[in-house]
Amino acid sequence: MGGSLYQRIEKECEEHISAALRSLVGQSPDLVVFLSLVEKCWQDLCDQMLMIRGIALFLDRTYVKQNSNVRSLWDMGLQLFRKHLSLAPEVEHKTVTGLLRMIESERLGEAVDRTLLNHLLKMFTALGIYSESFEKPFLECTSEFYAAEGMKYMQQSDVPDYLKHVEMRLHEENERCFLYLDAITRKPLIATAERQLLESHIPAILDKGFMTLMDGHRIEDLQRMYSLFSRASLDSVLEESFSKNEAFCNTIKDSFEHLINLRQNRPAELIAKFLDEKLRAGNKGISEEELEGTLDKVLVLFRFIQGKDVFEAFYKKDLAKRLLLGKSASIDAEKSMISKLKTECGSQFTNKLEGMFKDIELSKEINESFKQSSQARMKLPSGIEMSVHVLTTGYWPTYPPMDVRLPHELNVYQDIFKEFYLSKYSGRRLMWQNSLGHCVLKADFPKGKKELAVSLFQTVVLMLFNDAQKLSFLDIKDSTGIEDKELRRTLQSLACGKVRVLQKFPKGRDVEDDDSFIFNEGFTAPLYRIKVNAIQMKETVEENTSTTERVFQDRQYQVDAAIVRIMKTRKVLSHTLLITELFQQLKFPIKPADLKKRIESLIDREYLERDKNNPQIYNYLA
Amino acid sequence: MPPRASKRKTAPPNSSSVTSSDGRSVLSKAKTKGLEKIDRLFNSYANSSSGVIDPDGIEALCSDLGVDYTDVRILMLAWKLKAAKQGFFTQDEWRTGMKALGVDSLSKLKKALPLLEIEVGKPSNYEDFYTYAFRYCLTEEKQKSLDIESICELLNLVLGAQFRPQVDSLIEYLKVQSDYRVINLDQWKNFLRFFQEISFPDLGNYDSCLAWPLILDNFVEWMKEKQHS
Repeated sequence: MGGSLYQRIEKECEEHISAALRSLVGQSPDLVVFLSLVEKCWQDLCDQMLMIRGIALFLDRTYVKQNSNVRSLWDMGLQLFRKHLSLAPEVEHKTVTGLLRMIESERLGEAVDRTLLNHLLKMFTALGIYSESFEKPFLECTSEFYAAEGMKYMQQSDVPDYLKHVEMRLHEENERCFLYLDAITRKPLIATAERQLLESHIPAILDKGFMTLMDGHRIEDLQRMYSLFSRASLDSVLEESFSKNEAFCNTIKDSFEHLINLRQNRPAELIAKFLDEKLRAGNKGISEEELEGTLDKVLVLFRFIQGKDVFEAFYKKDLAKRLLLGKSASIDAEKSMISKLKTECGSQFTNKLEGMFKDIELSKEINESFKQSSQARMKLPSGIEMSVHVLTTGYWPTYPPMDVRLPHELNVYQDIFKEFYLSKYSGRRLMWQNSLGHCVLKADFPKGKKELAVSLFQTVVLMLFNDAQKLSFLDIKDSTGIEDKELRRTLQSLACGKVRVLQKFPKGRDVEDDDSFIFNEGFTAPLYRIKVNAIQMKETVEENTSTTERVFQDRQYQVDAAIVRIMKTRKVLSHTLLITELFQQLKFPIKPADLKKRIESLIDREYLERDKNNPQIYNYLA
Repeated sequence: MPPRASKRKTAPPNSSSVTSSDGRSVLSKAKTKGLEKIDRLFNSYANSSSGVIDPDGIEALCSDLGVDYTDVRILMLAWKLKAAKQGFFTQDEWRTGMKALGVDSLSKLKKALPLLEIEVGKPSNYEDFYTYAFRYCLTEEKQKSLDIESICELLNLVLGAQFRPQVDSLIEYLKVQSDYRVINLDQWKNFLRFFQEISFPDLGNYDSCLAWPLILDNFVEWMKEKQHS
């Protein structure tokens, strides 16, 4: 009896359902209206099937359960609906089209009935046709949409804006999966969007915008670029085959790395400079957390730099200046940066930098005990206070030795300190670094007393005017013994800048041989303590070039040493194997052509020779 | 273990002359007359005060042989003589050379020149001659490289006949490039190998990843750019 009842229910349902679906055919050219009709049809089915099931509950629980090949009433309803939907293909097709149009409208900024979308997509899922009937065409549509949009926006907008737009779109699509799309669509959807908006434009993005972002220190934008790019490949990992993707992942990383290093040492230099600005005092209004955050972001970029030795050279130079001139915003921030670099590159990279900090701290102790010492108490000239930083050569950058004839009192002070220091640490050699010295001078101007914060060289020049009113350039040069270029720079800073402690005749920006200088009687300034030693913090072009040159020279030595080391061990080695070995051993970027240059230089110097029988082989010459 | 019989080198009979510092030589009678003729030929070109054939003498020799001063065959002669210094033949070198050629008169020397060319052209000798040509041009004691101008002339002289188009291209390149102002022996040696091994002018089988000197990498790049423009 259960069987025949079941069959009659089924027959009734079928008739009803097929009629309902057939009635949708040819209904309403307006897709949104049509969709509402479909929704109603579906809603009615659900309600009715529920009622039927409620009435025939007993049937469901006994007859259906006892017969494995018989569906539950609910499933039966679904199956009938699905069957007749497939018999009226235009209805299904129109539904899908309608849904896709709605989603496209929403993407273009229109408000759409999300509930309608939600219900209809749930219908598809319930009917088991979601993936085949909806998801597939949906992803194709999405792909086309973003392909077109990507191209349009790439042409119209600049890179930072484009990336922001991409970020927004990806967020949007993600939201879509919460609002009406089935959760299974999320991954392929995001992957499709990324593929069209990002992956196909990566070369163009890097081409167009990368340098501008680098030059403009646009750390946040660069970070966005990097995170979008790495996400793009990460999601693809889950999508496609592993091997295909690893190559792609590496391609992204490689092209990023390649581009960041195309301008040779510039990125390294820029990043070091950026850090210098952030770590220097005078960055008011930036909290500790903000600074930490910035440092972390910079580190992301740092990972891509190949020539880290260039970075080290610039960073060291700037750190030295900050430490010695007391310009660090916060020692904690400095130390935090060092420990970040240590985590990145290992302790060997940061050993010297840490040594610099140790020297500063040790110097404090030395100065304390110097003040207490007998030498200090007995022999020091009065009226001067002096503190000394004792630097360990090797930790600090190399400074060109600069001679200067110091005023008598300063000489005495230096000698006494030296005596004290060597009495404590015998066997050491002290070399005064005059270019790094700085002083505070008490100056008596007719219009008011002032304190001038000046460099040592500026001090030496100014103190000449204690005994003379007017001095020529050549006089000053003779008396001070300061090197020509440095002297001109110093005089310029005293007579031609904002703060004119001296006056130059004739007037003009540059210091010429015939110039004369006089003490500026009329000098006034709003503050009591005036900084005139800004030149020490500024970087000269020569400094920059020489830092880079030194790094490159150093690299040359390293290459030579590596070649000799390898050849000494192997005695006989082919060219290609030697090159491979070198690339493995050398930690900085170098072109094969440069390696060839060094090899040929070593052949010339008779460290190696080409084998007589096989020109591809080198022999080590002991 | 029984001691190995030592192999002692015995001096061959009729050993070649050992010249003592005053110029006298020790020889068997049969050779004396030949040597005299060789010496006489030497003296006819040698500078009487210096005791060597100097550039003037060589010029005269060339004129008598009917070859140009700049002819490659004089270079070949120098090679045969193992002459140490460009533009000069010492008496020893002269003697060595004439004997090796088996000549003792001017007419015989003239006839020997074509044979000398063939001898030089033999693969076993050619590389040696080629290397010799470079060394021969080094004038200063510690000099290891030749200026570009001299290299171009030498290339022309030594390889021009055999590798005309390659030599012309390489000379053109050497004159326009500015990476190298001098060429050393290693680079020189590789020029020959380059001409011998690399197909021209397509340079299709050249691989810059191999141990070719950098100057040739640059040359190939320059050639390829020229061909494309």
